[in-house]
Amino acid sequence: MLRFIVRRLIITVPMVIIVVSLTWGLIRLAPGNFYTGEKRIPPAIEQNLREKYGLNKPWYVQYGKMLKNTLMLDFGTSLKYEGQSVGSILARSLPVSATLGLLAYLLALVVGVTAGTLAALKQNSRLDYASMALAMLGISLPNFVLGPLLVLIFSLSLFWLPPTRWGGFPSVNLILPVLTLSAVYMAYIARLTRSGMLEVLRADYIRTARAKGLSEREVVLRHALRGGLMPVVSYTGPALAFLIAGTVVVERIFVYPGLGTYFLNACLNRDEPLIIGIVAFISISVLIFNLLVDIAYGFIDPRIRY
Amino acid sequence: MSIFCSSKFRLAVGLVALALIIAGCTASASNQQFFGRAVPPRDNTLHYVSGSEPESLDPQIGTGQPEARIYMALFEGLTEYDPKTMAPIPAIAESWDVNHDSSEFIFHLRKNARWSNGEAITARDFVWSLRRGLSPELAARNAYLAYYVKYAQGYNEGGAFVRNKRTGEFLLAKDFKEDAAGKPEEAHTEPEPMANKNADPAAAAQMPKAAETEFHNFIKAPERLVVPAEEKARTKALAADEKIKKAVDAMGGDAEFVAVKKEDVGIEAVDDFTLRITLTQSAPFFLGLTPHQFFRAVPQKTVEQFDKEWTSPEHIVTCGPFKVETWKPYDKLVVVRDPMYWDAANVKLDRIAFYPGDDNPTIMNMYKAGQVDAVLNHTVPAAWLDVVRPMKDYMDAPEVAIDYYQINCKKPPMNDVRVRKAFNMSIDKEALARWRKIVKPLTAFSPEGIFPGYPQPKGDGFDPAKAKQLLAEAGFKDASGNFDPKKFPVDEVGIVYNTQESNRIVAEFIQAQWKQNLGLTVPLKNMEWKTFLDMRSKVEYKGFARSGWVGDYMDPFTFLNLFYTPAGDNGTGWWDPKYVALLDDANKELDPQKRYEKLAKAEAYLIDAQPVIPLYTAATNWVKKPYVKGMYPNPQTLHAWKFVYIENDPAKWDYGVPDMKE
Repeated sequence: MLRFIVRRLIITVPMVIIVVSLTWGLIRLAPGNFYTGEKRIPPAIEQNLREKYGLNKPWYVQYGKMLKNTLMLDFGTSLKYEGQSVGSILARSLPVSATLGLLAYLLALVVGVTAGTLAALKQNSRLDYASMALAMLGISLPNFVLGPLLVLIFSLSLFWLPPTRWGGFPSVNLILPVLTLSAVYMAYIARLTRSGMLEVLRADYIRTARAKGLSEREVVLRHALRGGLMPVVSYTGPALAFLIAGTVVVERIFVYPGLGTYFLNACLNRDEPLIIGIVAFISISVLIFNLLVDIAYGFIDPRIRY
Repeated sequence: MSIFCSSKFRLAVGLVALALIIAGCTASASNQQFFGRAVPPRDNTLHYVSGSEPESLDPQIGTGQPEARIYMALFEGLTEYDPKTMAPIPAIAESWDVNHDSSEFIFHLRKNARWSNGEAITARDFVWSLRRGLSPELAARNAYLAYYVKYAQGYNEGGAFVRNKRTGEFLLAKDFKEDAAGKPEEAHTEPEPMANKNADPAAAAQMPKAAETEFHNFIKAPERLVVPAEEKARTKALAADEKIKKAVDAMGGDAEFVAVKKEDVGIEAVDDFTLRITLTQSAPFFLGLTPHQFFRAVPQKTVEQFDKEWTSPEHIVTCGPFKVETWKPYDKLVVVRDPMYWDAANVKLDRIAFYPGDDNPTIMNMYKAGQVDAVLNHTVPAAWLDVVRPMKDYMDAPEVAIDYYQINCKKPPMNDVRVRKAFNMSIDKEALARWRKIVKPLTAFSPEGIFPGYPQPKGDGFDPAKAKQLLAEAGFKDASGNFDPKKFPVDEVGIVYNTQESNRIVAEFIQAQWKQNLGLTVPLKNMEWKTFLDMRSKVEYKGFARSGWVGDYMDPFTFLNLFYTPAGDNGTGWWDPKYVALLDDANKELDPQKRYEKLAKAEAYLIDAQPVIPLYTAATNWVKKPYVKGMYPNPQTLHAWKFVYIENDPAKWDYGVPDMKE
């Protein structure tokens, strides 16, 4: 088990290097620069800028510097936002994204698992049809439609909730973004739980459990759910990483100062250190969450050994 | 079972219908006079969406209007923008003198101006600020705005004077200017007190004449030649200019290159409260530049102590009517009235909260819900105009900005002026403007209705018959001499624009016009913003590229200047020394009205060559709540914040666009 974890952690390093190198290459291939704008800069001023940010050094020097920075986990300062270090931007925006993501994740998990389990237990009932219909709607309604729709109803017509902006935690400003963000995950989790549970409920060991005379409650919670949730776990691990690392669309709709907002604008601004920093951060967290999922398998399903 | 009968589908339809019904009911029940809520905030704070996230709180770094709006609260310059006309009004300078040919300015600073830490603001602060802004190490993108100041460009570009070691004499610029050769050097004149309606004339008359100094003797002497200081670049520059190379070679071993230092830039603190700025040319519009963010004062001590981090909220020292209270990037910036400000008694708001915002529907939602009291320009989406425009909080006014298509004049068939003119004439710009609802059709190259007294020339109007005739003359004709669309190489032209809904619909409109009026289907192509800019500035596009220009200052020259050089923002490949001569001639003119007439002549020359297709003068297109007073739809949507206030009495609110007359 320990060897497995160590091996996986070591692999993380070359993986991250590959990811940031590809990203770096793509930024270089994209035309334009962080300073290009509608008004063209005189060549001499462009020269001054290139001098100031080390852009006139050979590419391998710049690449080497970027790699060194990545390995030291110090990404330097943003090009677009002068005087703001990538580290401070991450430190500031991560809590925003993480709050939004975690809340959406918890909501999706609680509602999704409950609805999915109930639907599986009462297969082909009205409850089953209703929750699966809602889940279908949740999956097929993209968040850039759902978000504005919720804003239209609750902010601009009823004036109950603010339409945008981060208000800290806890605040009413979180309600609409969390709902918007969690909808699709909620729906997926409900469907995954339902199908997982349906499969498990027909398994032999459940029949054994029932035959032992265990109460329905115990059969479901202790035996069926453990097996039935396996697909959910493998789905939600990486999902959690992405949720915490910021969701571009929802953050943009609700004007949240999170990682997603920074990431989108960094790409549009060609803000290289910031892009590299965020990409490195997201890839590290995805790799780590995948590892956690693999470890969790071992606990949930005793049949899995490392 | 068809999808339309499925329960999911019915459910979805039901939900959407419910949403629309709720939206519809409440909209009809709400107050129709204004767009959304109109309840004044209880505290004396203005909530304002200023545009994209500011790049920096350093006024010499941030280049956009979103930043300018914030800088106008935090920093002050020698002058400030008039809230209605954008003309320069006294700020830290209480009055100023201009010399005879507008090439030297003396600013008299007020004695009670202070930084937010209580220290006095003196002429030396302005000298330091401008030198810093121009330093190559800072690499300020706006530095070019100060190139009118003598030797500013030389210093910023890393230039050097050429001196003869033996004689100690410098090469002079006038000996190497092609058009100026043989012209007599104009005599230097001293600034005289100008009639300044905002200052007390008696006080201005008593102002002592600025003292003569060693620096002034240097700066008013004939302009020295500047060549690149760096050797490689210099060799290249010399190789490109036969005349200079000859002169340098003639000196032989005696030639010495003296780097242009920051101390050589034409700005001087004559005493604590007298600032002298010497320009390299006649620039009557220079005063209009002085309120620009690049020319605002920055605090020397703080910048030197904290370097790039001087703008962080715990370090920053400012000099405007407001100072920083909190700053959460991508969230909000709150500024609070600064008691140290020289005119603090007349600052009406306690606080301003600036919110960043890029997405127009989102900004409008914030406005409608009452989260903000006013927003930046260009915020009302085209599809919303029918609803928002009739409201009494809609701000409708022309902007010092134009939209146009630039033409690649290098590539056939567009290198033929007849073809360019034909394409221009076959667009019905009146129809375009009607369809865009808020803009004004444009045939010339400066915005219409912005510069009072400017006799703007008229370009060609809508005339498809003439257009066909011109194209036939250009050789695209059939046997009988009539225009034949099949002969025109339509694959060699195209309209390219940066990906944006509003650009696409304009391009489609123009495409339809050419199809209808010329029978030519010009292909459209959209591109990501930075990719587009890169290609456009290299003049690599075929045919037409979307373009727009926002004036830097309130003078037609800020538009006409685009074609002053073949490089830079020109982007068309068209350049004509005769046009440059016309502009130079106009800027030497002392009488403002005559100068306008000469500029108009230059503009007429430009549009006759048709390197561009002017489309329309933009509109400011924004909204403010009726209780926000002292805020006007001026041509740049930049507001001098100290005049803005919140009016709680509905009788005194603005019902419609406020009175824009002075």
